[in-house]
Parts: sequence; C-alpha cells; structure tokens
Amino acid sequence: MSASNLMTEGLNLMLIGMGFVFIFLTLLVLATTLMSRIITSYEKNVGVLPEEGVSSPTAVISPAMNQSQHANDDKNLITVLSAAIHKFRSGK
Amino acid sequence: MDKLLHLWQVTGFNQMTPGQGVMILIGMLLLYLAIKKNFEPLLLVPIGFGGVLANIPGAGLAEGNGILHIFYSVGIESGAFPLIIFMGVGAMTDFGPLLANPKTLFLGAAAQFGIFATLMGAVVLAHFGIFDFSLADAAAIGIIGGADGPTSIYVASKLAPDLLGAIAVASYSYMALVPLIQPPIMRALTTESERKIKMVQQRHVSTREKIVFPLLLLILVAFLLPDAAPLLGMFCFGNLMKECAVVDRLSNTTQNSLINTVTIFLGLAVGSKLSADKFLDLTTLGILVLGMAAFAIGTASGVIMAKILNKLIKEPINPLIGSAGVSAVPMAARVTNKLGLESDPHNFLLMHAMGPNVAGVIGSAVAAGILINYVGA
Repeated sequence: MSASNLMTEGLNLMLIGMGFVFIFLTLLVLATTLMSRIITSYEKNVGVLPEEGVSSPTAVISPAMNQSQHANDDKNLITVLSAAIHKFRSGK
Repeated sequence: MDKLLHLWQVTGFNQMTPGQGVMILIGMLLLYLAIKKNFEPLLLVPIGFGGVLANIPGAGLAEGNGILHIFYSVGIESGAFPLIIFMGVGAMTDFGPLLANPKTLFLGAAAQFGIFATLMGAVVLAHFGIFDFSLADAAAIGIIGGADGPTSIYVASKLAPDLLGAIAVASYSYMALVPLIQPPIMRALTTESERKIKMVQQRHVSTREKIVFPLLLLILVAFLLPDAAPLLGMFCFGNLMKECAVVDRLSNTTQNSLINTVTIFLGLAVGSKLSADKFLDLTTLGILVLGMAAFAIGTASGVIMAKILNKLIKEPINPLIGSAGVSAVPMAARVTNKLGLESDPHNFLLMHAMGPNVAGVIGSAVAAGILINYVGA
C-alpha cells in the first residue's frame, strides 16, 4: 500500500466510522424512545413488574407453601373463632 | 567442572540481555504504580507480574509451550477473555440512567471521535515516515481512545497482535489517569455558568424497559453491524442476566468470580506480550503519545457535543457530562461529578453522567466493530 493510498484509506475509515457510529446510536435513541413509550403506556393498563424481578422458577413450589400457610391460617381462624364463641357463651 | 560451567550458563546473570533487564524494571514499575499509586491495580498487578515473568532469561514462559504463551493463545488470540470480561461488565451495568435520557447516547457517540482522530493521526505519522504503522496498526492504536480495556485488547488481538502489549498497557494506564487527563480539558471548554447548569431529575425506569433494552440493542446490532456482535452480544447477555432477575446465580457468578478469574489470566497473558524485542521500540512511545491524544480528543468532543445538544434541545444538559462519553466506567462519571460539585456544591451529576458513560461503552464497541469490519475485510 503506497503512502498516499494509506492516507485516503485512513480518511475514508474516519468518515465512514464516525458516520456509522452516529447513525447506529441515532437509531438506538429512536428505538429506545419508542420502546419506552410503548412499555410505559402498556404498564398503565397492566401495572409494573415488581422491582425484585418476576417470580423465579421456584414459583412451582410456592403454591404448595401457600396451601400449607392457608391450612395454618384456617387452624388459627378456628382457634380464634372457637375461643370467641366460648367466651360469648360463658359470658351469657 | 563441566556441570558447574553448564549451571553458570543457564543462570540469569549469564543469559540476561539488557533489553530483558529493562523490561523487568518496567514490569516492576507497573507493579509499583498499581500497588503504591493504586492505578487500576486489578489489571496492572497481573500485567506487571506477567511482564516480569515473560522476561526471565532462558525460562521461555512467553514462548512455545511456556505457560504465559498458553494463556495468551487460549484466551487472547481466540478473543475469548475480552469477551468474557465484557459479559461481566454487561452484568454490572445499569442502563437505567441511559433509558431515562436516551439523548445522552449522542454524547457516547461523539466521544468516539477520539478513536478516529487518533487513527488519522497514526496514519499521518506513517505517511511522513515517522512510524511504520499500517492501517490495521493505526486502527488498533485509535481504539485506545475508546477507553475500554477489553475492547482495546479485543481489537488489538484481531488487527495488530504485535502491538497488543503496548496498547493494553496504554489503555489501562490512561484509564487510571482519567482523573488527571480530563479535568483540564473539561475546564478549558466550559464556562463557570455552564458548569453550574442543573439537570432535571431523572424519571423512573421500569424493570420491563430494562429487560427489553439489551434485547433491542442486540437486534439492532444483529441487523446493522454483525462485526460488533461478539462484543455487544456478550455485553447484552450479561446485562439481560442481571435485569431479568430470574438467574441471579448466573448473574452473580458473571459479575464476580468469573470476571475475576478471567482478569487474572487476561492480565498475565497481556504481560506475556511485554517482551523486550516487541516493547522496547520507538513504536511503543508513539502508541503512548497517540493514546493520550485519543483520550484528550474523545473528552473534548464529548464536551463539545454536550454544548451543541444544550443549544438544540430544551432540557438543560450540563456540558460536563459529555466527557463521560469516553467509557472508562465509572471513573469518567465520577470525574464529571467532582467537577460539577466544585462549581456548585449542590449539583450532583453522577447519575446524569452514568448515561453517557454506558453509552460510551456501546459507542466504542460499535466503533470496534467498524474498525474490524473495514480493516479486517
């Protein structure tokens, strides 16, 4: 490659390079703005994702946990209710 | 007696060339800068030590079957190490500030001018016969201006493996010197009142946006510039792992143990390129000077772009955040914040500067893709 050829190549690369960086990032700005707009309007209807992320795959286990919790809750409820009834009757 | 003579012949005293001696001292200097002055110690400690190891006379650690050469050919020649590091960087990056104000991407684009101006500078030097740079060499030197270690190493390994040692050392040392190089340029290009400009509080960015953004970026890269796909692909992958929050274990590994492991081997492998015959050369001096110019020009063009944007759009933009467009995350953003506080103690620019800062990472990866595409083809 002759010296002047190298200069032209360098100049070409500089113009193409800078031009392309700007085109790419401009497109990215447009795409990002559009994306944000779509998601913001979508989230107005659906609500946002929780900050700590969507529930993990262990979610399969969590309903089972919930069931046992429900069972616990029911037991507590029954205890409280029977205590209340007992008190109500004894009060009479 | 023969045995004794043989033992003498293999000692360092007998075999050491002056060049190796100087390189061992340079390796020690890098260690000193890292340990005492705290210059990017995570990289300069392995690089400096690797440099010392590579120059032990007769041991041949950096050639043939030497362990450093094996690290080099496995990790850097193949391009694997810089890409893995980039994945980790992706997993540590928060695109929130960028998404809150996408226009800051322009600042990240403008700061890449440093890369191309330096490339031109190297070509001009070659034209006048001062240095013997090819276009590929010039491109690899220019990328120092991207202020992004892994990107520089990736491009240099593809385009100019001979210069890799000098380019890696230059780019990491200048990243450490960001707090010294940037402020004078930033002060010179802005007025006191411009430095006092307060920016609007950033809006809240939802998790969904943060998850979609890396995918959007990936699609754009896939369609427009496949040559940048290795770098930005790994970057987006790392970021998606972090943001989607369902693979925390993978994301934590990527940002901690994996990136640390790879950094050790990357540093040693780069150190292996600090051999006397390749490094002790006027070319290295040229690379150091050009790299500095690349940094300075990148900083200046980022600031100037911010001033232009400030004129064009209504939202006020403090020109100081333009300088953060030369990646160097998060050092450049911290410098911006510091200068902002000097002018107005209540003006916190850190989060505003993180936008152009991560935009600079994307910008320099795109520039790297173009250089590889143009020169490699």
